[in-house]
Amino acid sequence: MYLLQPFEKRGEMDQGIARLAYYSLVRVAKGFFVGIALATPLGLLLGMSRTLNRMFDPVIQILRPISPLAWLPLGLVVFQKSEPAAMFAIAICSMWPTVINSAAGVRAIPQDYWNVAKVLRLSPFTTFTKIVIPATLPYIFTGYRLSLGIAWLVIVASEMLTGTPGVGGFLWQEYNSLVYAHILLAILTIGLIGFALDRLMGMAEARFRTA
Amino acid sequence: MAFLEISCISKTFGTGSSARHVLDGVSLSIDRGEFVSIVGFTGCGKSTFLNIVSGLLMADAGDVRFGGERATGVRDDAAIVFQNYSLLPWFSALENVRLAVAAAFPAWPPARQTAQARAYLQKVGLGNAVDRRPSQLSGGMRQRVAIARAFSTEPDVLFLDEPFGALDALTRGNLQQELARLCSDLDRPVTTIMITNNVDEALLLSDRIVPMTRAPRAKLGTPVPVEMPRPRNAADLTHNEVAMRVRSHVIEALTAEVRLKPDTTYKTEVVSRFSRTRSDVPCPAPFRSN
Repeated sequence: MYLLQPFEKRGEMDQGIARLAYYSLVRVAKGFFVGIALATPLGLLLGMSRTLNRMFDPVIQILRPISPLAWLPLGLVVFQKSEPAAMFAIAICSMWPTVINSAAGVRAIPQDYWNVAKVLRLSPFTTFTKIVIPATLPYIFTGYRLSLGIAWLVIVASEMLTGTPGVGGFLWQEYNSLVYAHILLAILTIGLIGFALDRLMGMAEARFRTA
Repeated sequence: MAFLEISCISKTFGTGSSARHVLDGVSLSIDRGEFVSIVGFTGCGKSTFLNIVSGLLMADAGDVRFGGERATGVRDDAAIVFQNYSLLPWFSALENVRLAVAAAFPAWPPARQTAQARAYLQKVGLGNAVDRRPSQLSGGMRQRVAIARAFSTEPDVLFLDEPFGALDALTRGNLQQELARLCSDLDRPVTTIMITNNVDEALLLSDRIVPMTRAPRAKLGTPVPVEMPRPRNAADLTHNEVAMRVRSHVIEALTAEVRLKPDTTYKTEVVSRFSRTRSDVPCPAPFRSN
């Protein structure tokens, strides 16, 4: 029923699998974009300043291993609603690979390019837009790819806990109603979508890879 | 006073037992418009020297003065050609040169900046490869782009760091000839320092050749003037009497020091008949880090 009528909407939690997946994807997209919007500038900044990097590295290493399940209650307390709480959990869990990768990308810029910037006496702005950004883009996109993977992991956990409609919510509901076939369907859907997302990001990554 | 005064430059990398004293009290003065080549073995500290003079690297001691004024950082009117081209791979040849033009002449309208970049690429014979990226160009063509980039900013001071070091012998010969032509075509004096490990390359282009002894504690030998009209031709240089004399002079200066040098316990006194005559430049308190 869920599979044969993927776009059916029968009730709040009783919808076609494609609809549920769509809800999850929208939620992931929101959280992911908030996450990378914060993570990219932060990563570039950390890459450029050794001092900042030393200051923030322990903070990042402490925040990074915290499970999405731990962030979610905090989000619920702060935002009082399940939707922003889920976004918050996704954003904060998925931002770290992007932070770490863009910082690594800036640090990996060869001295040659910095020398070029010095010799041509490029302004800091030009150096940033013409050298730092293009040189770091491949790293940033690797970060995005990893971040998106994590974001998709988090969605299931957060939907399970908040009981909102989506693939994760569906999975939990079917577990409660003991329909094992649907559990497998949900798991398979999650896997396939995760795979598709990764491939899409991989394509974007390859497109921005400079020689 | 000479236009460019380099006095008593010292540079050490690392500290303690791993310290490498690369340069130790190196001095040189260069007149405006002069083309000076520094010739030395690979790894003798030539590039370090150039990086300091060009302002990319800070010296531990000593200073560099342009027209009596102490230099800090890279000068506005200087351009550098690096051995490894240092082109930006995400830009086309034209964009690479244009970036330099735009930085040097920010007041120009964009069309004029592009025209300038195009004109200089034309000069180095890359008129129909302007839209290619560095990865689509051969080594020789890349270095042409780098040379166009340096000349397009119309510099007063030009630093060439083994500009042809990464090229094969044939391409090398071609580009040397073209650089000689470019340099003599200029309508204003450009003071140039070139680093090279090739004496013939130095002969082709320079007014004076300065041999450099090996690191650690590299020093400059006595400059050897090359009294020949320019532009010169590589083929003529092979048998030219002046060229032969200068060549043997420089090679002797470089090898004499190597033969006499005990391997590790190398003191500041450089045992070469050229560098001995150079002791007329007193440096304040020789640099010691520990």
